[in-house]
Amino acid sequence: MHVDLKKELTTSGRGRLGLAVFLLMVLIALFAPLLAGHDPVDQSRFAFQSPSLSHWLGTNHVGQDIWSQLVYGARTSLLVGLSVALLSTLLSALVGASAALIGGLYDSIIMRLVDALIVIPVLLVLILVAAYLQPSLWVLIILLSLLGWQGGARIVRAQALSLKERTHVSAARCFGGSRLYLIWRHILPDLSPILLVEFIYSMRRAVFMEAGLAFLGIADPNMVSWGMMMREALDFSYLNVWLWWLLPAGAALSLTIVSVTFVGYTLEPAMEPRLRGEVYA
Amino acid sequence: MLRIKDLRVSYGREQVLNGIDLEVKAGECLAVIGESGAGKTTLCLSIMRLVEGTSHGHIFLNGLDLLSLPEQSMREIRWRQVSMVFQNANSALNPVHTVLDQVMEPIVEHRLASRAEAQRRALQLLANVGLSPDRSSAYPHQLSGGEQQRVLIAMALANNPGLIILDEPVSSLDAASRAEIVALLKQIARDHTFVVVTHDLSTAARLADNIATMYAGRIVELGPAAEVLSRPRHPYTRALLRAYPNMTTVKDLQGIKGKMSRPVAGCAFHPRCTQAIGVCAEKTPPLVSSQGRYLACHRGGIITLLAIRNLSKSFGSFKAVRSVSLDIDAGETLALVGQSGSGKTTLAKTIMGLLQPDEGGVYLEGKRVTSRAKDFYRKVQMVFQNPGESLSHRLSVLELVREPLDVQGIGTREERDQRAKRTLEEVELPASGGFLESYPHQLSGGEMQRVAIARALVLNPSLLIADEPTSFLDPGVQAKILKLLLNLQERRGLSMLFITHDLSLARKVSDRMAVMLSGEIIEQGPSNRVVSSPVHPYTGSLVQTASALHSESEAGETVDQPGAEARSGMTIG
Amino acid sequence: MFSRRNLVTYAIALLLVLAFNFLLPRMMPGDPLMAIYGEEALVQMTPELKANLVERFALDQPMWQQFGAYFGALFRGDLGYSYYYNAPAFEVILGRLPWTLLLVGLSLVLSTLLGIVLGIESGWRRGSKTDRSMLAGLMALNGFPDFFIGMVLLLVFGVTLGIFPLAGALTPYSGLSGGALLLDVLKHLALPLAALTLAHIAGAYLLTRNTMITVVKEPYMLTARAKGLSQRVMKYRHAGRNSMLPVITRTGLWLGRVVTGALFVEIVFSYPGLGYLAYEALLARDYPIIEGVLLVVALFVLVANFLADLSYPKLDPRVSYAR
Repeated sequence: MHVDLKKELTTSGRGRLGLAVFLLMVLIALFAPLLAGHDPVDQSRFAFQSPSLSHWLGTNHVGQDIWSQLVYGARTSLLVGLSVALLSTLLSALVGASAALIGGLYDSIIMRLVDALIVIPVLLVLILVAAYLQPSLWVLIILLSLLGWQGGARIVRAQALSLKERTHVSAARCFGGSRLYLIWRHILPDLSPILLVEFIYSMRRAVFMEAGLAFLGIADPNMVSWGMMMREALDFSYLNVWLWWLLPAGAALSLTIVSVTFVGYTLEPAMEPRLRGEVYA
Repeated sequence: MLRIKDLRVSYGREQVLNGIDLEVKAGECLAVIGESGAGKTTLCLSIMRLVEGTSHGHIFLNGLDLLSLPEQSMREIRWRQVSMVFQNANSALNPVHTVLDQVMEPIVEHRLASRAEAQRRALQLLANVGLSPDRSSAYPHQLSGGEQQRVLIAMALANNPGLIILDEPVSSLDAASRAEIVALLKQIARDHTFVVVTHDLSTAARLADNIATMYAGRIVELGPAAEVLSRPRHPYTRALLRAYPNMTTVKDLQGIKGKMSRPVAGCAFHPRCTQAIGVCAEKTPPLVSSQGRYLACHRGGIITLLAIRNLSKSFGSFKAVRSVSLDIDAGETLALVGQSGSGKTTLAKTIMGLLQPDEGGVYLEGKRVTSRAKDFYRKVQMVFQNPGESLSHRLSVLELVREPLDVQGIGTREERDQRAKRTLEEVELPASGGFLESYPHQLSGGEMQRVAIARALVLNPSLLIADEPTSFLDPGVQAKILKLLLNLQERRGLSMLFITHDLSLARKVSDRMAVMLSGEIIEQGPSNRVVSSPVHPYTGSLVQTASALHSESEAGETVDQPGAEARSGMTIG
Repeated sequence: MFSRRNLVTYAIALLLVLAFNFLLPRMMPGDPLMAIYGEEALVQMTPELKANLVERFALDQPMWQQFGAYFGALFRGDLGYSYYYNAPAFEVILGRLPWTLLLVGLSLVLSTLLGIVLGIESGWRRGSKTDRSMLAGLMALNGFPDFFIGMVLLLVFGVTLGIFPLAGALTPYSGLSGGALLLDVLKHLALPLAALTLAHIAGAYLLTRNTMITVVKEPYMLTARAKGLSQRVMKYRHAGRNSMLPVITRTGLWLGRVVTGALFVEIVFSYPGLGYLAYEALLARDYPIIEGVLLVVALFVLVANFLADLSYPKLDPRVSYAR
C-alpha cells in the first residue's frame, strides 16, 4: 500500500481548500493577541453594542468584544483539537499495535474492551464526568483523549495485523531483525498514513465535542470557546445580535470542522476503505 | 439471424474491433476462438450493445440494426431476442438475490408473465438445466461453480430468446463440470442459435457448426468447424491449434511466437507470421471467401512452400521413389516416416538436387525448380544423418558455420563471422575463443550435430530438411536436439521436413505426417489423425510397434501428454 | 472488517456504563451523599432521611456491598430521587422519553433513507455534476455541528420568519386533541427533526456512495443490463440493494450519534426530551437525573446495536452462509 499523501492533498480541489482554511485558522489562533485588539474576557465595555470600527462584531451581554472572543476561540478549539488528536492517536497506536503484535489473550481482552467502548455513547459519559469534575481545559483534553481512541485502535490493529504478514517484514525477520527493529523500521512507517488520517478525524471529533460541551456550559471559565459564545448568544435570540454574535461563532466552528473533514476525506484512500467506514462514515 | 457488418469498436483511442463481418444462421452454433485480448468478449458485448466504447458498423438481428436503435428499444430486445451467458458465473450473479429471483426477473420485468407464472417457468428452467429443486431458493454463493453456471444458462433461457451468446461458458470450471455443462449446452443448442466465445478448443469442437478465429479485433478465418480444426488455413489458426494443450495434441506443446500487439499496420498478425511478405506489413487483408472458407490473408492462407509432384527416381531397375506427390506448408513440420530403404533419403536428396529425378518435379513457392542456383539453397537447407560425416574434419567450427556464407558471398568477412557466431549461440553453443577454433573430432556427437544445424540455418532458410538428425545420438542428447529443432522452428517460423523411421519421434515433432513404403506415400494427414486412426494397415503396424517401443525406451524422457495414448473420442480432427 | 459483536461485548459495555455511574460520585472527595444527590438536595434533607439513604445505598459498607445495593436498586427501577423535580428520577425520565424517541427515531429513519437514496443516485452517476456538487455539499454539511444547524433553522424559520414555534413540543394549555394535536406536535417537531436529520444525512450518504461506486463495476451489474432491466430496477434492486448493506448494519452505531445530537438539538429548541432534561439537571446539579439519562440512553443504544447486529445476517445472505 503506497499512497502519496502529499499528492492526494495537492491534486484534490477539496483537499487544497480544506488545508488552506485549516492553516488560516491555525494562523489566526497563533496570532490571536495581534488580531484581537481587545482582551476577550474584559467586561469593561457597554453591553450589546452593534458592530463598529472599534468593535468589529460589537459586544456581548456583559460587554466583551465579540471579535476578540472569536479570535481567541480559535485558540481553544485548535488547542483542544490538536492535543486530543495527538493523545488519542498515540493511544490508538499503542493499544492497536500492541494488541496486534502481542496477540493472544491480551488481544482478545483489549478488543472486547474496544468493541464495548465503541458502542457506548461517549459524549454522554463525558457530560456526566464533566458535571462532577468541572474540568479545566487540560483535564478536558485528557478526558476527551481517554474516551476517543477506541475506533482508531481497532483500525490500527487491523492494519498492523496485515502488515505483520507482509513479506518484507518476514524477510527482515529472516535477517534476524529484533522485534523492536521490526516495529520501528517496518511496521510503524507503514502505519503512519493511517495514523495521520486517524489524527485528523480525532481532531475533528475533539473540536466538535469541545464546542458541544462548552455549549452545555461544561468549559474552562478562563477560556473563550465558540460553543460557549453560541450558548450565550442563543439566550438573546429575540434580539438581532445573533447576526454578529451567534452566526460568526457558529460559522467559525463549522468552517474549522469542514476544513478538517475535507482534508481527512481527501486522505482517505490512504486507508483501505473497508477498514474505515465503521467508525467514520 | 445475426449479421454483423464492418463492426468497429474502440475504447477511447484503443481500437478493439477492427471491422468484424460475421453471419450466423438460425439454429447454427458459431464458435469464436482466439487468444485473450483478441476482442472476443467485446464482440459479445457489442451484440448486446453493452460495450462502454464507441461502436460503428451494423449488427442486424432478425433484420433490425441494433446499433441504430434507441436505448429503450434495445432494452426490450435484450434478453427477449438475445441473451447472454457471462463468463465467471460467480460474479455475474447478484449476491443478495436468490437464484430463482434472478432467473424469473427478466420474465417479470419484460412483462411476459405474471409473477406466479414467471416463478413456475423459472423453476422449470432450473430443473431443465439440472439444478436440483431444493437449490433454487439458494443464494449464488451457496452454489458450486457448475451450479452457478447452470443458473446462468437457465437465466439466459428465461425469455426464450432466439440467440444466446456464451462468453467462455466453461473456462472457470473444473474438468468434470466442464464436460457436464458442455453436454447441457449441446442439448440446448439443438433449438437455439449460439455464439460461443471460447479459448477452449475442445468446447468449440464439441459445440460449433462453424468456427471463427479472431485476432487483434479481426476475424482471420471462418469456416466449418471440423474443417477449420483439422486443416486450419490461416497461420494464426494453425498456431492456436498447435498451442492448445488438448488430449490429442501429439506434437509437444508449443507456444505461438511473440505476443499480440496493437496497433499494427497491415495485417495484425504479420509480426508473428512465418510467411509474411512485404504487403502484409502494408495493407490489411480483407476477409474473402476461398474454397469453402473465409480467410483474411494476403497469401491466401498458409502457403505451400514446397510441392513435389509425381516424382520418381530409379537406380537401375530398383524404383526407389515412385511417383511421389507431397506438399510442405510454410511453418509446418512434415514428418516423413518409413523404414530404411523406403526411399526417404532418396526423396530428400532429389529435392536438394543431389540426385536428378527421372520424372516429375519440385516446386518452390509455386515455381518449378529447374536448376538449383544459389538462391534455392538460401531457402532450402538440409541437415544430414551423420554429423561426423557431414562436417569436414579439416575446418574449424567457425569456418564450418561460416562456409555457406562464404559460398554465397554474403557480406564482409567480419559480418559473416558475426552471423556465424550468432547462429552458434542460437543452437546453444559457445560462440567464443577456444570453441570456435576447435575441430569436429574434438566435439561430442551432440555438439557436432548442433554445428551442422547451425551451418544449415546460417543462411536463414525457409525449409529445413532434417534426415534422421538424431539417429546417431544418445537418447538424452536426442531429446535435446529435438527440443532445439522445435524451438528454432517456432522462433524462426521454419518449415521442416523431418525424415525418420521412428513413428513415436515423428508424432512428437510434426503437424502432419506422410508414411512411405517401398518408394510410395501410402498415407498422409494430420499427425494425430494418422496416429490415432491409421488408414493403411502398414501405418497401423507402425503405430503398434511404436507404442510398444515408446513405453520401453522413452518413458520419462520428455513430458508427454498423459492421455495421448488414449485415443479418446475427443478428437478435434 | 465489520465484526459482529456478541452479547458478552454488550454486557461489558453496560457494565462499564454502570461502573462509571457507580464509581464517579463515590470517588469524589467529601460526603458521598452530596456527590450522589447534589448540594442543594443535601441542604434540604433531614438527618433521618440522610440516615435512610446511607442505609439504602449501603454507603457505610465496603465498596462491593455498595455496588450490590446500587445494582439492586437499579433492578427495581430505582434511579434515585430528583430533588429538583421532586419526583423519582425514573418517573421524570420516563415522562420525557417519548419525545426523544419520537425525535431520534424519525430522524434516524429519515436521515438513513435520504442518505441511502442520495448516495445511490450520486454513486450511480459518479463524476457527474450532480454527484460532485452533492458530495461537496453533504461533506460540508457534515462539518456543521447539529446544534448550530438547529440554531440557524430556529433563527431563520422560527425567529425571523415566524413559521414554526420557537420552543417546546406542544402549545401549552391549548387543549387541542385529535388531528389538531397531531398537527401541533408535528409543527413543534419540524425544526428539531430537520436539524437532526440534516446533520446526519452525510454519514449514510457517504457510505452508500462509496459502496455504490464499487458495486456499479461488478459483473452482475452488466448481467442486469443485459437482461434488459429498466434503469430503476438496475439502480435500486441490483446496485442499491448491495450498496445499502453496510449502511443498515451501521445504523446501530449511528443511533448513538443521533441520540447525542438530539440532546443538543433539544436544548436549542427547548424540546422536552431527555437532552433538555439532562441540560436542566446539569444546570441544577441534579445528579440522579443526569446519571439516569446516561443509563437509559446507553441502554437504548446498546439494545439497538444488538438488534442491528442480529439483523445483519438476514440482510446479507453471504454472512449467514459464512457462519
